[in-house]
This record gives sequence, structure tokens and C-alpha cells, in this order.
Amino acid sequence: MKRRIGLVSAFLAVPLMCSVAFGAGAPAKPLVGISKIVSHPALDAVEKGIQDELAALKMNAQYDLQNANGDANTAASIANKFQSEKVNLAVGIATPTAQALVNTLKTTPVVFSAVTDPVKAGLVKSLTKGEKFVTGVSDMTPVKQQIQLLLKMKKVKRLGHIYTSSEENAVVLAGVVKQACKDLGIEYVETTVSKSAEVKQAVQSIIHRVDALYISTDNTVVSALSAVTDVAMKSRVPVMSADPSSAESYPVLAAWGFDYYKMGRATGKMVAEILKGKKPEQIPTRFMTRASDVDLLVNLDVAKKLGLTVPKDIVKTANKVVENGKLVKK
Amino acid sequence: MIEGIFVEGLIYGIMVLGVFISFRILDFPDLTVDGSFPLGAALMAQCILMGVNLWLALLIAFAGGVVAGVITSLIHNHLKVPNLLAGILTMTMLYSVNIRILGNRANVPLLNQETILSQVTTRLTGIVPDEYILLVFFVVVTLAIKVLLDLFFRTDLGMTIGAMGNNEQMVISQGVNPKTLKSIGLGLSNGLVALSGAFAAQYLGFADVGLGQGIIISGLASVMIGEFLIMKSNRIGVLTLCAVLGSICFYAVMYVGRYYGYVINMTPNDLNLIKGILIIVLLVLTQSRKLKKFALKAVVKND
Repeated sequence: MKRRIGLVSAFLAVPLMCSVAFGAGAPAKPLVGISKIVSHPALDAVEKGIQDELAALKMNAQYDLQNANGDANTAASIANKFQSEKVNLAVGIATPTAQALVNTLKTTPVVFSAVTDPVKAGLVKSLTKGEKFVTGVSDMTPVKQQIQLLLKMKKVKRLGHIYTSSEENAVVLAGVVKQACKDLGIEYVETTVSKSAEVKQAVQSIIHRVDALYISTDNTVVSALSAVTDVAMKSRVPVMSADPSSAESYPVLAAWGFDYYKMGRATGKMVAEILKGKKPEQIPTRFMTRASDVDLLVNLDVAKKLGLTVPKDIVKTANKVVENGKLVKK
Repeated sequence: MIEGIFVEGLIYGIMVLGVFISFRILDFPDLTVDGSFPLGAALMAQCILMGVNLWLALLIAFAGGVVAGVITSLIHNHLKVPNLLAGILTMTMLYSVNIRILGNRANVPLLNQETILSQVTTRLTGIVPDEYILLVFFVVVTLAIKVLLDLFFRTDLGMTIGAMGNNEQMVISQGVNPKTLKSIGLGLSNGLVALSGAFAAQYLGFADVGLGQGIIISGLASVMIGEFLIMKSNRIGVLTLCAVLGSICFYAVMYVGRYYGYVINMTPNDLNLIKGILIIVLLVLTQSRKLKKFALKAVVKND
């Protein structure tokens, strides 16, 4: 029994020790904690973008990179860790991690990134200014303009949309797509999935009822993009995507959106401003809508197969064009 | 940070108590937990937004979990579905239910909302140092739940439930219907899990459908750590204490992995691997301990 008690106390002593070890000495370089919900190409690109931007601005920051492995419960552990380390600033990539940081770090600036609707997520009260310690970058894409672009290439009466019901970003975007369709006088056909394995069946279930498909920046659906394009091409239905980077390798008619790496750079710029002393309150939520932020990809091969003509001015403004099986970047 | 570990360990400790009831007392591997945890969070969040009395909301969350557990037991008892599958079925169905409860959304924020935790914080400010307020609160809450559970398992009903987990045939021969007992046990177990989810949502600042993902693994690991740490005992009070301590230790180990993992070149991506290995090691250790006992007995007999 004595040995057992010893074991118990040893186990309980471990956390005590680390709290002591981390209590000593504040770092001379600013310490930036980055908490992302899961390791994923887009979110990893944001993380890298932030670090590259701060390096480019010659800010010698130290980083604590954390990842919740897709488990939202872990988000609070990470926030606690940042608090005990006394980070100078914390970045929350994706909605749950940003919420946990804001909930825990009451007096440390928090910059959110890759949050589609920060007001609905409860992070800020308005988009025109930040909270006392919170501001950030939204990954809301120009949905209405994307659909308008599609309309220039094909007459669409019914637009299909597939999204993941367990991703808050995707759910918010679905609402925006629905509203945009209403404004443009298009019938909106939606279907939801809960994991990437369901995407193919979901597409098959609506493909006969739609003239075109719209894919938003939805991690699960984008990761199953090959299933979407496979079904769509067989039924000769064009696909409009909001993610140009994944569209490079699949037959998507057009993709208009931003690169997550660029969003990371924009987030990094904001982090640098706050570390230099600017108040988060003075910085409104930034959207990735500047001309330099946005990429447009047009696939002329797909257009040819579908018997569509892409207007010359769209091809001219596109910075990535796929023609005769080759990708040309401008 | 130390208080963070204890607070988390205690919040999820309520869930571990639930897992302990189904796995150890009922001997029923119940995967409903992955769905009833976010169910509790979702019910709590929606009640807070609707302005329901917070303690009533907690009760609603608990009741929701009880219903989930009872459904699993009904599927198992009356449709003759194996216990593992019955749990998976309820868990799968709860995904859709949880999204409905959250109002067709995946995530509902509770930032800047009045929660039980924020009320407790304002009430105890000045009496207890700020960082220890939640710790004090959850020590009281979790221990109160533990004591209530101990009392329940000392009643006739509780004793019979415990006996059924050990030997179902014996309970049947005593003229008790094991189906009813299973429903009560699973209801109680999932009620506690949902209660834990309700507290977790307030602590995290949001309710998300993804909250339940893999929660059963954390629960199991905690139960096993608890059993490993303290000598086998038949006293229910000791067993439930083990479950709570196991939970604290599990979250401490995960914290340490996050803090010092870089020393052995470990990234946060490796933590799930560590979780699995931890469970395997504990299983092997407890087994070898049992073998040792057997070996000793054999030696004694031979002498």
C-alpha cells in the first residue's frame, strides 16, 4: 500500500514540477502561441504564413505551436498552457480553438484566423472593430461574386451545394450561399455529409437535379473533391470551387478564392502590429477580398468538354489557367 | 497551470465516473458516451441561450444523458442487439440529434454568456484567490457526485446492480429482472457523462458537435490509470475515488506530453499515439500483476 501511495504522489507531483519550471523568467523575445484545431494542409499553411510574415518583418518571435488533434476538448488545455506560459499573444486557427483562447486568456491579445463568421462564433461583437483583446482574419469567401462568375459561363437555374454539417464554418457558408442564390433568383439545392466517405453518394443524390455545383471552403468536402468532380464530369455538370489550390489537380471548371498561406501572411501582419503596440480594438476583422489576396483558376479543358465558352475577360483576369492539360500561372 | 490540470481532471472526472459505472460495475462496454457527452453540452448551451435557470439546465442536460443511456439499454435488451453495437447505434443517432438541438449548427458560442461558472466566479471573488475559484468549485461538485454515487451503490438497488455486473445469472435466480437494472445503470452512467459535457461546454466557452470525438478513450484510459494506481479494493468509495484520481492523472500526463514532448522530439500530433500506448502498457502491467498473484498462489500450494 505504501508503494502505491508513493506512485500516486509521484503522478500528482509531475504537474506540480512543470508549473514550477515554467514559472521562471519571462522570455526576451515575444512568445506567440498558435493553437490550431487539427493538422491539415490549409491550416498548416496558415501557421507557416504567420511565421514567414513575422520573419519577413524581422520580428524575432518565439513560437509555441499546438494542435488539438481534432478534439475540441483539448482546446482548453492548450489555452491553459498558453496562459501559464504567459504568451505575449495567442493565435487561434479555426473556430473552437479561437473560442477557447478567448474564453481563457482574458487579458492577453488573441488573434483569430480561418474563422468564417467571427460574430456568430461569439469572438467579436461587430466586424468593423475588434474587442478589447480580440481581433483577427476571417476566411469568408466572396460567395455571391463566385456564383455571379459562374453565371457568366453558364445559365444556371438550380445550384447544388454540398457541405459538412459538423463544421461550423461550412454551416455558416451554406447560409450565405442560400442567401446569394435567393438574391440572384436561383433555386438552391443542398445536401449535407458528416464525413468525407459520404461525399460521393451525396453528390450522386443531387446531381440530376442541378445545373451546376458549388463547393465552399469546407475541409471535408474539399478533401473528397475527386469524388465530386468524378460524378459531376460524368453527368456533365460544371463545378465552381472556392479553393483554387485543390482545384489545380481536379477537373473543376473554375475556382475563385484565396490561398490559406496568404491568409497566414495577413494574420502575421496583424500579429506584428499588435506586438508593436497597436490595440486590437482599433483593428477591424480583416477579410481576404483585396485583389492581391484572391486567386482565380479557370480550366478551359473542362469548359470544352462541357461545351461551355469562357468569356475572354474572365480568362484574362485569371491568374491560373489550365489549357491542353497544362497549368499556366500568371 | 496546476489548477488547470486539476479543473480539467475534475470536470472530465464526472464523465469518468459514468464510464466507470458502465465498464466496471455493469460490465457493459458502452460507446454511447461519445454521443451523450456533446448531448449534455448542446442541451446546456441551448438552455443558457434561452435563459433557462442554470441549475435547471444542468438537470435537463443530465436527464438528456439518462434518456440516451436508457435508449441504448432498450436497443440491447429488447431488440437483442449486442451491447457494443447498441452503444454505437445510439451514438450515431445522437450526432443528428445534437445538431438539431444546437439549431442546425455545428458550434454554439457561450462567450460573454452568464454560466454557472461565471456566477460562481463573481460570487467567490475576494474569498478565494482568482485562479483557484474553479478548482474549489469542481472539487466540491465532483466529490459531491462521487459521494452521492457511493451512497447509491450502498442501497439495495445499487448493490443488486453491482451484483449483476459480477454474475448476471445469480441476479436472475434471485428473481430480479436484469434488463431493468441495466437500464437504470446505463441511464445513470450517461446522465453523468452528459453532466460532464454540460460543465465542459461552460468551461470551454462553446458547445460543438465534435466534442464527443474519442471521449470514450480518455474515459477508459482514466479508469485504467485509476485502477493501476491504487490497490484493488472492493469498497465502492475507494473505486470511485480511483476513477476521479485516474482522470486527473490522465489529463496531467497529456499536459506533460504537451509541455515536455519537444524534448524527445514529439509533436502534438503524436499525443493520440501516446494515449493508445498508455492504455496498452497499463493493460499489460495489470495483467502481469494478476499473473504474479497466480504464480504466488501456485507456489504456496506446492509448498
